[in-house]
Amino acid sequence: MANFLVWAVWVVAAFACLASALAVVSFRNPFYSALSLIGNLASLAVLFLLLSGEFVAAGQVLVYGGAVMVMFLFVIAYLGDRSEDSPWSGGPSWQIVGAVLAGGAILAEVCVVVGLKAGDFLSKPARVDRSFGSPEAIGKLFLTDHLLAFEITSIVLLVAAVGGVVLGSHARQHDPLDRTGEVDARA
Amino acid sequence: MHEPWWITIPKAFLVINVVMVFFAFTTWFERKLLGRMQNRYGPNRAGPKGLLVPIADLLKLIRKEAFAPSAAKQPLYIIAPVVSMFTALLAFSVLPFGAGWTVGGKYIQGEVANLPISLILIFALGSIGIYGFIVGGWASQSKYSMLGAMRTCAQLVSYEVSLALSVLGVVLMGQSLSLTDIVAKQQTTLWFFIPQAVGLVVFLIGGTAETSRAPFDLPEGDTEIVAGYHTEYSGMRWGLFQAAEYVNLLTLSGLCVTLFFDGYHFPWVHSLDKFGPVWFTLKLFILVGLFIWLRASQPRLRYDQLMRFGWKVLLPVATVNALVTAFLVVLIK
Repeated sequence: MANFLVWAVWVVAAFACLASALAVVSFRNPFYSALSLIGNLASLAVLFLLLSGEFVAAGQVLVYGGAVMVMFLFVIAYLGDRSEDSPWSGGPSWQIVGAVLAGGAILAEVCVVVGLKAGDFLSKPARVDRSFGSPEAIGKLFLTDHLLAFEITSIVLLVAAVGGVVLGSHARQHDPLDRTGEVDARA
Repeated sequence: MHEPWWITIPKAFLVINVVMVFFAFTTWFERKLLGRMQNRYGPNRAGPKGLLVPIADLLKLIRKEAFAPSAAKQPLYIIAPVVSMFTALLAFSVLPFGAGWTVGGKYIQGEVANLPISLILIFALGSIGIYGFIVGGWASQSKYSMLGAMRTCAQLVSYEVSLALSVLGVVLMGQSLSLTDIVAKQQTTLWFFIPQAVGLVVFLIGGTAETSRAPFDLPEGDTEIVAGYHTEYSGMRWGLFQAAEYVNLLTLSGLCVTLFFDGYHFPWVHSLDKFGPVWFTLKLFILVGLFIWLRASQPRLRYDQLMRFGWKVLLPVATVNALVTAFLVVLIK
């Protein structure tokens, strides 16, 4: 019973994930594309849940599904629907070729990596600790095994924040009444 | 101890309905309190003390024509209020309202769902709920709705950061992201509003902004943008947006009670803890009263004041509070 439930949820989430990913690239209107991307991130979160990564799933919904995509929607809604006059609407054929090639390359890469790295594991069921995926375990990983990556990421984010402030204050120097730069820098 | 599923499902149904009733009478409570604070009677015609006003409102909203602008993006226009309402109601499910009871050998949990990451879940659902407002505003295809949606979006994203940072101190002291653990920890130490007074103030201000209530009700600033994102909504669709806002207010007050005021416990007298839902509701409505008081007494902020206050005052204060708490927690341990 439990196994069937997991399987059913997996099928729904996996297909929702694929369908929403296709929808992202096939919608003409960017607003709908962004909404599909939210659906994609949400179905990914469900897949994380099935892998007992509750914290990662909630983080995914909170950070990517929530904060990041809200900014996407904000910008798209702010600029308005420009799908009609945008030069790349209609999709020239070389883009399709490129996309298919890139997709094929990623698929091949995934197959090779899974085959090389996880060939033995896949035949056996994984053993997962009770603490796996808990906030404590993830925090410990961040501050021990992956400390360098963690710190570098925070520096990258800091640089982005400083860049935003610099761009924002630059815009303000040009026009003292223009407050849009201020809002952008903070967003 | 595990709860059988045939208890959980009726309990979830009961909790949702109780929350809806609370919502209905919060609107009555708000009108009555606002009325008294402005030297009026407030509603006093429908039923004793005007208690039937929410029922009359509901009947009116349901029977009203569901009007939609012809330019509206149809599926999104209808889905948006539903999304807001759904996430608002779902967030309430992780709030602990009782210590749990054993009835006839069966254990009943004091919350609908007990998760190790319930606090993050509430924030995640809150950030999904924003989409209802922004999509609703966009799908209406009207200038005022659009402006309202933009404002909502900017305000909610800005203040969510401070709100999340303000509870970090509580998480550090409670050593858990589970709301039941945080309540249990306060029971053994002291109520967190004393050591986390700064966090509480930031939480209350951020929470007022998150629920877009006065003085942070710019998303619906009626003197400037008519009614914001729900300008083009009427009938029960508008009602759903309104209900979502009030349910968010209830959830936020419930979260505040849980994080800072020891949730469902009665102070000092532990034998009264089995009536947890009563104390939880009482504390919750005291906080709701505080929010209504704020609305009655504070004028609306200007937009640049709102942004400046959020990013230059509230966020640094919340960050320093979290840092100081972290140092102290390590130092005392």
